[in-house]
Amino acid sequence: MSTVPVSVEEARGLFAAELSESEAAASPRGGFLPADVAALKVRWLGKKQGVVTALLARLKEVPKEEKAAFGAGVNALKQEVEARLDALEAEAAARAASLAEAAKAVDVTLPPRVPPVGRLHPLTVVRRRIEASFRGLGYEVADGPEIETDWYNFESLNFPPDHPARDAVDTFFVEGRRDGARRASPPDAHVAGPDADDGEPQAPIRVLCPGRVYRKDDIDPRHSPVFHQMEGLVVDEGITFAHLRGTLAAFAKSFFGGRAEVRLAPTFFPFVEPGVDCAVSCTFCEKGCRICSFSGWIEIMGAGMVHPNVLANAGIDPERYTGFAFGMGIDRIAMLLHGIPDLRLLFENDVRFLDRTWS
Amino acid sequence: MKFRLEWLGQYLPGELPDLATLRRRLTDVGFIVEGTEGEGRDAVLDVELTANRPDGMNHRGLAREAACALGREFRDVPAPAPAEGPLEASSLATVTIEEPALCSRYSARIVEGVQVREASPAVQETAPAPSGMNPISSPVDATNHVLWDLGQPLHAFDLDTLAKGADGRPAIVVRRARAGETLVTLDGVERTLSPEHLVIADAEKPVALAGVMGGLHTAITPSTTRVLLESAHFSATAVRKTARLLGMHTDASHRFERGTDPATTVEGLNRVTALLVADCGGTVARGVIDVLAREIPSRVVKLRHARLVSFLGMDVPLGRCVQILSALAFGVTETAPGVLAVTVPTWRVDVEQECDLIEEVIRVVGYGALPEVLPPPFNPTWAEPILAREDRARDVLAAAGFVEACSYSFVSAEENAPFESAVSGSAPVIANALGEPFTTMRATPVIGLLRAARHNIRRGLSDLSLFEVGRSYALVEGHPVESRRAAVLLHGRRGTHWAAEALPADFYDGSGAVAALFAGFGAAAPGFRPVSVPFLASGRSAEIVAGGVVVGWVGVLAGPLAAAWDLDEAVVADVDLAAIPVPPPPSSVAMPSRFPGSDVDLTVTHPLSVGWETLDEAVRKGAPAELLRVDAKYLWRGAGVPEGFVKTTLRVAFGSPERSLGRDEINRWRDEAARRLLLVPGTAVDGIA
Ligand SMILES: [Zn+2]
Repeated sequence: MSTVPVSVEEARGLFAAELSESEAAASPRGGFLPADVAALKVRWLGKKQGVVTALLARLKEVPKEEKAAFGAGVNALKQEVEARLDALEAEAAARAASLAEAAKAVDVTLPPRVPPVGRLHPLTVVRRRIEASFRGLGYEVADGPEIETDWYNFESLNFPPDHPARDAVDTFFVEGRRDGARRASPPDAHVAGPDADDGEPQAPIRVLCPGRVYRKDDIDPRHSPVFHQMEGLVVDEGITFAHLRGTLAAFAKSFFGGRAEVRLAPTFFPFVEPGVDCAVSCTFCEKGCRICSFSGWIEIMGAGMVHPNVLANAGIDPERYTGFAFGMGIDRIAMLLHGIPDLRLLFENDVRFLDRTWS
Repeated sequence: MKFRLEWLGQYLPGELPDLATLRRRLTDVGFIVEGTEGEGRDAVLDVELTANRPDGMNHRGLAREAACALGREFRDVPAPAPAEGPLEASSLATVTIEEPALCSRYSARIVEGVQVREASPAVQETAPAPSGMNPISSPVDATNHVLWDLGQPLHAFDLDTLAKGADGRPAIVVRRARAGETLVTLDGVERTLSPEHLVIADAEKPVALAGVMGGLHTAITPSTTRVLLESAHFSATAVRKTARLLGMHTDASHRFERGTDPATTVEGLNRVTALLVADCGGTVARGVIDVLAREIPSRVVKLRHARLVSFLGMDVPLGRCVQILSALAFGVTETAPGVLAVTVPTWRVDVEQECDLIEEVIRVVGYGALPEVLPPPFNPTWAEPILAREDRARDVLAAAGFVEACSYSFVSAEENAPFESAVSGSAPVIANALGEPFTTMRATPVIGLLRAARHNIRRGLSDLSLFEVGRSYALVEGHPVESRRAAVLLHGRRGTHWAAEALPADFYDGSGAVAALFAGFGAAAPGFRPVSVPFLASGRSAEIVAGGVVVGWVGVLAGPLAAAWDLDEAVVADVDLAAIPVPPPPSSVAMPSRFPGSDVDLTVTHPLSVGWETLDEAVRKGAPAELLRVDAKYLWRGAGVPEGFVKTTLRVAFGSPERSLGRDEINRWRDEAARRLLLVPGTAVDGIA
């Protein structure tokens, strides 16, 4: 490479030979990198020792009559070399960039860095779905205390003292007070009761009362001393038993899907007359499944027309106003919907249970 | 309760009803048949009976319902007086009711010369639930049979064991027990009595708990020859009180508590006497000793057909109403067009008002016949603000990566004790608790989170971020106070990843969660003030201050407490949701500045005793309106910083909505801030003398 070619033709041949030699040397690296091209540029186009410069320096040795042709030949060669090396330079720059990119590559299949994903408890999610169904029907969502007076817990709801109907709803009592921990329905009684400000009963009413309720039950897969209930109450002039049925049917369709039908059967609760057990046709199966215990029907709530004694206790004239009430276990519905096998899972807070999307 | 199909059939003339049809129809009218056993004549139905229908707790009563539900005839089986001997019953014993309010009627018969056998084959054979029976003797069998047939509880005394009164006759006295009297009941337990217990006494002492259980010493034995049979009507409340105070529950008390038919005493007596004589022989004394202390008049309830129609929201023709009520043995008279005077049968203790009659009609018509109608449109919906606030807190904390927990409101006294100072007042204690750990209502939901953490850690999950939105409970001057709380627990690491080692959660993760909660409500950032409470590690605990008041606490759980819960360091917080000062939603929003602004750093070396609040305040006080934020960028303790000091780099952001800021003015503001920092005793600022 140290030789200086004597003619343009020789130089052109030398450039081609050196180029292919360098290409061969660079091929294990995948081709020219910018440094390779830079070295070629210095060797061929360097201002001081470049081959083209050296060739041009021979101009003075060329016979006078050949000078013009020689000069033109060198210039043409210079342009050829420049064009070729510029092209190679761009190619090398692109190659270098892509190699640099490749060096930053990661194993995209490694576990991702997940920001902490929070979860809502299934009881929260199911409660909200129930609330959404009834808010669509124009219900307010109300609130009440959990530690209740005996009046709101029992007497206002037509449970006389020392009546066997109280057996089914044994509650807890707070030491030193007559109060019991709330069982189902008292928030209804509060809502219906005279307003603290003006003493006026508050009919008409269309209210939904979610809440935590208590019953003196030992803990097992189906029972808990603490559970969650959704109570509803409607009181107005002209409210009928058919309205109760229509409301339960509308809820069933909204909550379980448009195919759902309701089936009502007589039962007894002291605070309603008539009392109703409400079952919904199973929308999870055609011919019976675990959710409906292979009966095609799922019992979801108790309901009934508000007992006139309960209305009177709240200061509402039962001749003028009628109403209905219903109550369902949020825990029970969550268990049904999601096939939760044990009620205790809802209170144990095992993260392996909670860490999923509920609906 | 179990019912034999054949037995029901005795009251339904004609063929036995089809079991499947009967099952469906009884369920339709409110007597839920939970199951059936066997087929044909031997079929047994298991029926769930509601507390308001004691009249259905016997074969005759259920057969009446079945007849109405199936549209068939009901035919009663007469209970004629048995063949009687010459001796007057009233000459052999006396009956006195001292408590007419608690016992309206007491009917008794006497049979002499019986030979008690071990068990009655006839009764045993027809028993609906053979497994549940405990045959003692044929007289007891006979009383059970009548109980199942007519629902009238009965009792048999050995007449010769009853103490005689002044007139020389064995005496039966229905009275309240006297304080301190005792009675050994049939189950062999000695009961100490008080005037709250209603008893049957002889001339000297209690011999039975009225309507609950007989006494052992006056019971029928194999050597008994003279029997006094009791058939009475006791007040439901009296029997319930007696049974509950003594913690007893018997077949008899179950029925009396719900209400028996005052008109069935003699009928039941005749039936049981006939059965007894058939099994054990003997001569029935003449007549019934029948003491009627109080007449219970039949109720007459008005039913307006128009009311029925408007109440149901559907028409049931008047004739159909009359037919249904008559089939159920109600007496019906139309007193005015569309108005019925309905006489309630003596056994229907549940029917008191018009709505009860409407239920009778519609349950037989069938709830399935009701149309599905929605009530007329109502006002727009609205949620109680505190409930909306609770739900917002749940969303904010879940979005911040916390998992929602739900725990019992009850905790043990021991678990609650360390946290008692977290609320004012005292912990509500459950008088009739299930036992530990359910005796006390919690002072903070954090206790439930600690339980949840322990549960998870024991199962190998120790990186936990949990929250619960729930209540804390206290009694303040005897009144219950329920406060809405958002509680948070962090344990172990947050967000682990292979690329970098994750640090365990510390105090600032806790205060950060609280700050995120406030931010979620749009509330101003809360302040944190060092506090010393028994349940938090001193030096790593703070009370949360907002709007000048304390609204909660946050910190590292005190070491001994963490150890007691089997936890490593846990960070816990508890915020009073109602106390977060939530501003009204924005009503006008300014355009964000087009000019980017500039940040400058200030590095201050200061004693550990000088807290962030002091540095922050020094920078802000007297700063121009262009000061936007002051943040801690870096803290360093160790090499190059004297013992007891810390080097803090503050990042101060300036910006203007109207213009770009010049480097000179920013440097000037920085130097002014630096000089204010230097006024804090013990501080030095890098680059400022
Ligand atoms: Zn199904």
